[in-house]
Amino acid sequence: MTQAPPPDIGAMIFAHTSDSHVVELPFGLGEWHLPTGWRVVGIDVSPTKHVVFMGLAALLVFLTIRLAGRQVERRHQEGKAPRGFGAAIEAMVLFVRNDVAIANIGHGGEKFAPYILTLFFFILYCNLLGLFPWGATPTGNLAVTGALALMAFLTIEISGIVALGLKGYLTTIFFVPPGMTGALAALMLAIMTPIELIGKLVKPFALCLRLFANMTAGHFVILALLGLIFIFASWGVAVGSVAFVLFMMLLELLVAFLQAYIFALLTSVFIGMMRHEH
Amino acid sequence: MPALLVVLLREADGPAFTPFSINPGVILWTVVVFLLLLALLWKFGWPAILKSVEDREKRIQQQLDEAERARAEAARLLEEHKKTLGNARGEAQEIIARAQALAEKERQGILERARAEQEQLLERARKEIEEEKEKALLALRREAVDLSIAAASKVIEQNLDSAANRKLVVEYLASLEKRQ
Repeated sequence: MTQAPPPDIGAMIFAHTSDSHVVELPFGLGEWHLPTGWRVVGIDVSPTKHVVFMGLAALLVFLTIRLAGRQVERRHQEGKAPRGFGAAIEAMVLFVRNDVAIANIGHGGEKFAPYILTLFFFILYCNLLGLFPWGATPTGNLAVTGALALMAFLTIEISGIVALGLKGYLTTIFFVPPGMTGALAALMLAIMTPIELIGKLVKPFALCLRLFANMTAGHFVILALLGLIFIFASWGVAVGSVAFVLFMMLLELLVAFLQAYIFALLTSVFIGMMRHEH
Repeated sequence: MPALLVVLLREADGPAFTPFSINPGVILWTVVVFLLLLALLWKFGWPAILKSVEDREKRIQQQLDEAERARAEAARLLEEHKKTLGNARGEAQEIIARAQALAEKERQGILERARAEQEQLLERARKEIEEEKEKALLALRREAVDLSIAAASKVIEQNLDSAANRKLVVEYLASLEKRQ
């Protein structure tokens, strides 16, 4: 009894979750082969699938906020409370602004609110795009989450320098406990300086990995569950797999919001910690 | 970790994508897209929502403050009105009491005066009666004298100086006295 070799589900999963120069177009429109070979100072900057979806996410975020903003503004000028779409977006914006940004950054948090808000909505839309058929998750790409974490890192450190002054900022790296002098102080510096530096780097590194891992892992699980159907080629498994996939999809929906929230929240917390370091 | 290294090495010689590959171009794209979105939203996105919200917050706070002020004002007015009402009631009581006292005094005065007048009238009447009586007596006496003289002349005409006559005259006079 000859049997066809089981499909290589692992390769399929990798192909589905990784970036590529090909965008699968929906509804049988075929594939869109992105141009390659763009180079800027020796770096290959040719667009990829994740770049396309990132742009789409940015466009959708901008349209969402713009439309909601217009509606809120118009109803405000009419002296009415916002409703419907505008009210929903406004509630999210206010939640992120007040309970995530300002609550964790402390006074002066309003200045960071636009950054935190953009971060939240951009990550959220990137996460959600991956849940659509034919979609891809830009936040399931280490380069994307790494870039976001890098910008968060720079924001945290620069806001620290601005808030504390250069001297105050340097004490967050070279810290000597008050009242300690001489050899003990030198010892303390020798021990604490690497720890402080590592501490500064670990935070954005964790941000980067957390978002990437959460988004990728969810897709891995969903694809693996779907892969079971093709490995076992049985209706019973298909029913069970689809039920699990449905559950995982709902979980992913939650995770999409949760991870956007966590990234925004932790960035706010780190900015707040840095600004109130004494 | 070795797997990751292999991935990175493979990345170097060609566009072999895996979920763990880090494409520097995508880092640049992410920064560009994110900063562009941030700039656009900073200028055209967030102010529309946040300004409206802040305005609304301000307006609601204003209305709350106003309501609080209006409530305090109403309470103050109510207190004032209560006080005014109380004062008015007290005043009314006072006015009534005063009017009653005045009326009582007036009544007493009128009674007093009436009594005095009555007394006076009575007195005058009495005096007048007395005077009239005196006058009448006087007139009567004169009449009596005239009558006496007339009687006497009559008597004298008949019999001058008779004891019986004298007695008659005296008796007559006495009878006059009695009649009076």
